[in-house]
Amino acid sequence: MAIAVLSLVLAACGQPAPGGGTSAAPSATVAATASPTRGGTAIVAIWQFPSTLAAHYANQTVTDIVNYGVIEGLAETNTNGEYIPTLATKVPTVANGGAKMTADGKKLDVTWELKPGIKWSDGDPLTSADIKYTWEIWMKDPKVNNRTGFSEIESVDLPNDLTAVVHYKSIYAPYPLNFFSLMPKHLLEKEADISKTDYVRRPLGTGPFKITEFKTDESITLEKNTNYRDAPDKPYLDKIIFKSVPSSQVGLAQLQAGEVHAMWNLTEAQTPDVEKTAGLALQVVPGPTVERIELNTAENKEYTDPNSVHPVLGDIEMRKALLYATPKQSIIDKLLFGKAKPGSSPVSQGWAAYKEPQEGYDPVKANATLDKAGWVKGSDGIRSKGGVRASLTYATTTGDQLRERVQQVLVDEWKAIGVEVKIQNQPSSVILSGSCTGKDPRKLGTFDLLMYASTPSIDPHSTILPRYHSKQIPTQADCSGQNYTRFKNPDADKAIEEAGSTLDIEKRKAAYAKVMKALNDAYVVIWMYDRANIDARVTGLQGWEANVWRRFTWDVQDWWLKK
Amino acid sequence: MRRLLQALPLLFAISVASFAILKATPGGPLAAYEGNPSFTEDDRARLEHAFGLDRPLPIQYLSWLGSFLTGDWGYGFASHQPVLTLIGERLPNTLLLMGSVFVIVLLFAIPIGVTTAVKQYSVYDHAVTGATFTFLSTPTFWLGLLLIILFGLQLRWLPLGGVSTPGAPFDVVDRLRHLILPVATISLVQLGSHVRYLRASMLETIGQEYVRTARAKGLAERVVVLRHALKNAAIPLVTVVALDVPELFVGALVTEQIFGWPGMGRLFLDAAFRSDYPVLQGILAVSSTLIVLANLLADVAYGYLDPRIRYS
Repeated sequence: MAIAVLSLVLAACGQPAPGGGTSAAPSATVAATASPTRGGTAIVAIWQFPSTLAAHYANQTVTDIVNYGVIEGLAETNTNGEYIPTLATKVPTVANGGAKMTADGKKLDVTWELKPGIKWSDGDPLTSADIKYTWEIWMKDPKVNNRTGFSEIESVDLPNDLTAVVHYKSIYAPYPLNFFSLMPKHLLEKEADISKTDYVRRPLGTGPFKITEFKTDESITLEKNTNYRDAPDKPYLDKIIFKSVPSSQVGLAQLQAGEVHAMWNLTEAQTPDVEKTAGLALQVVPGPTVERIELNTAENKEYTDPNSVHPVLGDIEMRKALLYATPKQSIIDKLLFGKAKPGSSPVSQGWAAYKEPQEGYDPVKANATLDKAGWVKGSDGIRSKGGVRASLTYATTTGDQLRERVQQVLVDEWKAIGVEVKIQNQPSSVILSGSCTGKDPRKLGTFDLLMYASTPSIDPHSTILPRYHSKQIPTQADCSGQNYTRFKNPDADKAIEEAGSTLDIEKRKAAYAKVMKALNDAYVVIWMYDRANIDARVTGLQGWEANVWRRFTWDVQDWWLKK
Repeated sequence: MRRLLQALPLLFAISVASFAILKATPGGPLAAYEGNPSFTEDDRARLEHAFGLDRPLPIQYLSWLGSFLTGDWGYGFASHQPVLTLIGERLPNTLLLMGSVFVIVLLFAIPIGVTTAVKQYSVYDHAVTGATFTFLSTPTFWLGLLLIILFGLQLRWLPLGGVSTPGAPFDVVDRLRHLILPVATISLVQLGSHVRYLRASMLETIGQEYVRTARAKGLAERVVVLRHALKNAAIPLVTVVALDVPELFVGALVTEQIFGWPGMGRLFLDAAFRSDYPVLQGILAVSSTLIVLANLLADVAYGYLDPRIRYS
């Protein structure tokens, strides 16, 4: 408190504060609103509790929320989707010579240089050996979540303490974010099994805060890291406490009651409550998550033949009509409180975003399309063609209120154009299990219409290749692909392969646009809406900035509490 | 002693059955990884091997049983913590919550049950009967939320959840304030059923001939009710109370969830959502043992309260 007042006074006098961090302001009133004050504890409500904070084991979103203040990597993403250096001096690119393709064009060498003088929060220096060690752990530890990127690395050379040369055995385009989370060699190298150490709950990092307490299902306490590279200027806060709340409803209630300062991931339906409470502010950031309805173009049966044709959805005119009869905007306005945007492609954000919209809501056109295609309405108002009744099933995850309401709207809309749709929901543990043994209907091909959301990573290749290449249709022999609509287009295949073999961003962008256009021209997916990330805070918590690609705690070093 | 031995095959059967049910539920512990597009079939195979899920089911069961009996309860898949550590972290919170409930329910149930029976059909009896039926038929989650809204949100008297104020040093008053609402939620519902049990059996015993005899001997009404009637009337209550004992360990699933109470109930629920087999099996093994033991305990207590009951 005293320090905060002191820095306020100093700032007000037009003197730089002792740390030099706060910007000098001409008057006390301006200082109070514009210039950060030091100290204080911010409490952030989390309604999921991290089972582990070790980045290589974790698979929960909430782990990132906590870790962003603690663990850093070589580079990160700004809100425009551009790579910016964190612990490295610069992001290596072909242009600046940091990234080089080998002469045969098949391999890639990336040279990273660390900023000098960076320390782990225990005071030990960060060296290039930690980069190599991070790769080794990811490849060695059997319990690691996944090895994306790391498995593409052939070797890592360490010319000196601050330089690491990473040799990829392929053209791995998302290399800038490969080392998103560095691990401390000096602490862990003597451990036989990291999963049995304290690191699982209190990982050591180079970030603005360090974890001082982990009370399961209660709270996680982060304290200022005095060895942080911007210390003592930043962070402004002394502490951040992540407090467990049983649900986002309770989180919101605690925010309204003043028990917490911020909470993450509100539903659209909760936003009116925040908007009408004085002293609270909403932060609505467009996110990369896209809610979609996928249309199965192959027969609806277990281990469907990729070359079979769905009796109803196999007709592109039928698929068009379903899209024309989908009132995206009114669903967004009424069910999502206007806090989302109509979808247009799987990649809605970042450098490869494809925003050419799908055709809008027009039930007259939908009816005309079906009439023209020979789908004739029967006495019950449902169309049929050649003895095939226009009757479909519509699946999504059970227990999701928003999705269930969207289903009700669409069942009515589609019935009005003569298509009968029966709801057939299943638990998310089955429907999104992503495995044939887990009976995922998308993998098996046992669905007609299926609605869910997916979030692409900043480099779209990991989304576009497995989802839209014709070789990625899951079959009994190889269940790994994610081409669930059974979309087959030789030109799109070629474009995907081209994009995967170059580092030229413009060429890749054009290739992905070609794929996404082909996808929309085939009408195999209805892109419902691009979902926003909605966070809320008390207005006294300041210094936030939005970042489409990262969770709201990405800039905690800049947060400060108004006294 | 013989009954203790009889309990062993029962416990074994329970553990086999629970293992089978856990394995039969769809999803599995790796389902949580699936949302990630980077998670490949190779990753799945590697993790299945690391967690021992690729072995035949009987082998998985036997290896779990073997290490369980030697005190190694395994590691949680999600948290990588020893199951015993996970239980150890939650148990004190659950004991505190359920222990408070246990004591409060007993303290109130006996006097209320006895007095309502003695003053049958009085205004007091009708009021208590009305109240107990109301609470008995109220779902816990609804009652809990109601109390939160009333005392937490509207009146702002009590915190909305958790065991203590985060970041604050240990403080008894703060702890108690966090305890009030969850304890009240469970106690009100449990009190309803316990009072009903005791009232019913008190009414039955008060009508018995030996009670009339006691009165005829000229004993004070107090002595008649407490020594002669209550001791016999308490037998059905003993069963109910003995079966409360395992709850001290298991916790309250719904209430802990609503109040964000970091206890055994939440541990179990989280583990169930994630199909975290080692955690689930550890909890199920302990809770089934406690339930079997509690039943034994109730039988022993019967013998004490009513010497006519003998087990052969």
